[in-house]
Amino acid sequence: MTRVMVVDDHPMWREGVARDLTEAGFDVVATTGEGRQAVRIAGAARPDVVVLDLQLPDISGVEVISGLLVAVPGVRVLMLSASGEQQTVLDAVKAGATGYLVKSASSQEFLEAVRRTAAGDAVFTPGLAGLVLGEYRRLATAPDQPDDDGAPKLTDRETEVLRLVAKGLSYRQIAERLGLSHRTVQNHVQNTLGKLQLHNRVELTRYAIERGLDDA
Amino acid sequence: MPLWRAIAVFRFASMAFVLVSIIRNVRDYTHPVAAVPAVAILVLWSAAAAYLYARPAWRRWPLLLADLLVALALLLATPWVVGRAALDAGAPTLAVAWQAGPVLTWAVSGGRRRGAVAALILGAADLIVRDKLTQSSITGLMLMLLAGVAVGHVARLTVESEQRLQRAAELEAAGRERERLARGIHDSVLQVLAMVQRRGAHLDGEAGELARLAGEQEAALRALIATSIPPAPGPAAPGPPAHLPDHGPTKSVRGAREGGAFWARRPAKRAPTSSALAGPDVDLRTVLDRYASPEVSIAAPATPVLLPDRVATEIGAAVGAALDNVVRHCAGGARAWVLLEDEPSGVVVSVRDDGPGIAEGRLAEAAGQGRLGVAQSIRGRIADLGGTVEIVSAPGQGTEVELRVPRVAA
Repeated sequence: MTRVMVVDDHPMWREGVARDLTEAGFDVVATTGEGRQAVRIAGAARPDVVVLDLQLPDISGVEVISGLLVAVPGVRVLMLSASGEQQTVLDAVKAGATGYLVKSASSQEFLEAVRRTAAGDAVFTPGLAGLVLGEYRRLATAPDQPDDDGAPKLTDRETEVLRLVAKGLSYRQIAERLGLSHRTVQNHVQNTLGKLQLHNRVELTRYAIERGLDDA
Repeated sequence: MPLWRAIAVFRFASMAFVLVSIIRNVRDYTHPVAAVPAVAILVLWSAAAAYLYARPAWRRWPLLLADLLVALALLLATPWVVGRAALDAGAPTLAVAWQAGPVLTWAVSGGRRRGAVAALILGAADLIVRDKLTQSSITGLMLMLLAGVAVGHVARLTVESEQRLQRAAELEAAGRERERLARGIHDSVLQVLAMVQRRGAHLDGEAGELARLAGEQEAALRALIATSIPPAPGPAAPGPPAHLPDHGPTKSVRGAREGGAFWARRPAKRAPTSSALAGPDVDLRTVLDRYASPEVSIAAPATPVLLPDRVATEIGAAVGAALDNVVRHCAGGARAWVLLEDEPSGVVVSVRDDGPGIAEGRLAEAAGQGRLGVAQSIRGRIADLGGTVEIVSAPGQGTEVELRVPRVAA
């Protein structure tokens, strides 16, 4: 049974989501309303999927995600956001979240998203696809890239797939239109996230090394 | 506060000056011994004044009057201590420059007019003591008057600007607090609206209708928040901060207040003028975000897509027309997706719907019959901007309108 942890500071929402998950056959192993606590208890609760509200009162979504990935390596994070503030969502994806859903999504959409996140799929909204496309473009044109080696690039196929996701096509429709298998479309979408996350880790490491050398 | 400290410094400096002048002239005094208590008063009062004026509660009339009277007493004691002969020979009074101290305290405490009054009182006493008008005593009076007026003026200005600064700081703090509260409230309201929509989505009748309305409001409010509050750049965002143009917030507020049916919320039509091209740039995301609703998804980059006001308005109107078309030609429940891409050469906006689609040749047929309609209005607007429009559709697969508008070199 898939183990799920729900992190949301809104009690009504938290309980509603936990109830939906339990009814649908998920094992809700922990619920909490605080980011620090989430990171603390994740090690013991060992969830497969964390359903995470990006707006927590204590620490940022990026900090929670980084903490969770350290506490439970390989944990999948599906983030929910009520206000959909774009930079926050993009930062969370770069920090390692693999799914995103706005809170207004229906129960069915939500449960399906948890299932797919648990299976290792990237759960994209059209909005997230737009953000990711924009981020690749920003990285490609950013003038502050001293050397061109680090910036990740999308293949033409990946760009094509992401654009179709952003225009609201389902993976099945995309597969049909491009003559690919459903699995291939999924892999393309996942790769776009993977490259972004890898780049983010490399950047953070490089930044830390630079800072460390400067301080020494 | 710095002014009071300056006066204390002045008092001690002038005290030293007086002491030197008394020591130099004491041999000529009529009553040299009487100079000792005078010097004692001078020193003690300088210290007392420095101590008392440092406390705001003491800066009132009793102290101000005492200050003036001490200086006056020293002045009036001068003829007896120094003696008429020495005075006429040009010996300075017992107060000399020290008497400007009270003038300055009066000026700082009460402004120009009070400073002038103190200067005139002490100046008059100085003239009376001397018995004979000399050039130097008149110059002294004028200098003292000048100091009183000038310092009084500066003191007033300082107080006023300090008050203004404090007021500005208070306003700013209040504004920030209001914004924080608004964020919190918005977030809670969004949560509840989303909850209502989620719980009621599968219900029929009134409850289902309520859920649908909650969903619409949720989307409108979310769009408003996303565009009116600049997001704080997170630690993992090495890119440029996503700032919004100054007029962004007011515009999006207006857009959301226009209300009405969900895609009737079109941007206010404005006659395009050539001068608008020179105006400040507008973030196309805020223009498009007004169309967001449960049925319309808006996908855009995280960074602003800045375009001249006229270009953004026209693109917004073209997108609005395309969305209107979705409502007109598709049965209820049709959804639409808008994708905004910012490329180096220009912007690409795609509008896709999941309606029945347009049969091949229908568009050409309609144009042939003179019914140019939506396609024409979209093409016209975009062509004016030097862009191109591509409409792709097949029966059963929805319609996709792609607008490409090149960036005009500024």
